[in-house]
Amino acid sequence: MNTWSSLEGKTIWVTGGAGYLGSAITEALDAAGAKVLCFDLAGRAAALVREKNLRRTIGLDFDFNDTAALPGFVDAMIAEHGLPDGLAHLMMVSSAGKRLEEITPEEFQRTLDLTPTFVLCRALAGRMKERGSGSIVLFSSMYGVVAPDPRIYKAPMTPNPIDYGAAKAAVLQLARYLAVHYGPDGIRFNCVTPGPFPNPGVQKTHPEFISDLAKKTALRRIGTNAEIVGPTLFLLTDSASFVTGHSLVVDGGWTAW
Amino acid sequence: MPETSLLHDKVIVQFGGTGLLGRALVASLAGSGATLVIASRNRSSLETLAASECSAGRTVHVDEVDIGDEASLHALRDRVLAQHGRVDGIVFNAVSRPMAKMDDDLAAWKASMETNATGFFATVRAFGDAMAAKGSGSIVHIASMYGMVGMNPWLYEGTSMTAAPDYFFHKGGMINLTRYLASHYGPQGVRVNVVSPGGIYNPDKPQAPGFLERYAKTTMLGRMAEAREIGGAVVFLLSDASTYITGVNLPVDGGYTAK
Repeated sequence: MNTWSSLEGKTIWVTGGAGYLGSAITEALDAAGAKVLCFDLAGRAAALVREKNLRRTIGLDFDFNDTAALPGFVDAMIAEHGLPDGLAHLMMVSSAGKRLEEITPEEFQRTLDLTPTFVLCRALAGRMKERGSGSIVLFSSMYGVVAPDPRIYKAPMTPNPIDYGAAKAAVLQLARYLAVHYGPDGIRFNCVTPGPFPNPGVQKTHPEFISDLAKKTALRRIGTNAEIVGPTLFLLTDSASFVTGHSLVVDGGWTAW
Repeated sequence: MPETSLLHDKVIVQFGGTGLLGRALVASLAGSGATLVIASRNRSSLETLAASECSAGRTVHVDEVDIGDEASLHALRDRVLAQHGRVDGIVFNAVSRPMAKMDDDLAAWKASMETNATGFFATVRAFGDAMAAKGSGSIVHIASMYGMVGMNPWLYEGTSMTAAPDYFFHKGGMINLTRYLASHYGPQGVRVNVVSPGGIYNPDKPQAPGFLERYAKTTMLGRMAEAREIGGAVVFLLSDASTYITGVNLPVDGGYTAK
């Protein structure tokens, strides 16, 4: 049974589509019958397509930071693969992961640069406008809503870094602004705002940290990447046709208390 | 519109099914494959709706309850468990609107709390406990964007429409009680969330033209919601597509509260 049958035949772009969260989304879209353009860093998207034997997904390398080339890249992708119905944008500049005392101004500035996200959204929405519909889902984080609790990051762990949280908070406002601006054109913008979704590597090496994370949620457990799929697909489809400018928090209740 | 099989195999009880939104929710939930029990004070008001859904191949039962009476709620819970073996989710969409304006008698305020505060809590506790006992379940409350923002008098100018004060009180309370209940039931695997619709266009009894025109300007999508657009969010939150979402308020308001 295809739970998300309305996605059959739709074209969806996923940036960061081969990462821990992104790959679950890419695979689910492919299984639902969507044509997926999966963008990631050098070779990763193509490797995912190969390894998971995805039938409708095209894996592409994506130089996200070349903002001058981005609009032309968007147009070229549309010319080749058609105008997408939706975008799930997970890619961001990765943080240096340093302590507050140690991060350099240059490192801070680099993470805070949301220009590629803005340029991508503007270029794509500009094209979706011609059709009068589209759904764009950005990815924030619970650490764009609340600060990390330093007590659960025991040495030698570094607390979730300040540049990451500040950039994720900025994504929330970017989504709201874009939702308001492009609403009259029928384009919806929303955020998925994940809570604790540590990747399998962290799960394996930091069992005590995982148990501390779990205690901070109402459901008393961390999330798995399969659980980010439903919220993303919901926002991409007409199930959410009147939902725009929203941050859909998927955190097991972390921020509810 | 919601996906057609998200609630496949789920037993859902919906409270409040006769109004504009209630009827649309019945169509969404039943259309998503749920085994749906609609519970209402007045069974006969729902028989026609249920019959038409059933003739379309959906599974809809009608039952009676007085949510102001805890014994009646427990009896309903026991009947549903006896008949269907379990409850996987509930939708609390019941509302009473005895109050119309600021200077109404306090008796109207009290009557409002009887259903909208006490009845609401009693319902959620009765069914929340039952789902907690089996270790899983999903509760969805229907609040309103008027549980988050105040009323804009400009919308109502020159019309006979009013925004009743009790509504803003109990919908606001409903949203934060959702978070309390999410904490309370979370360890037992029961998720609790709330959907907050914006104003819904009534095609059978359209709102005043001036109101419609002004309201459209206050949403980012330039219109009121259609009743059928709320069900997608409710079905999603009831389903296994949202297993890590709890304590969340999901507005379906066309961006009214995002601006």
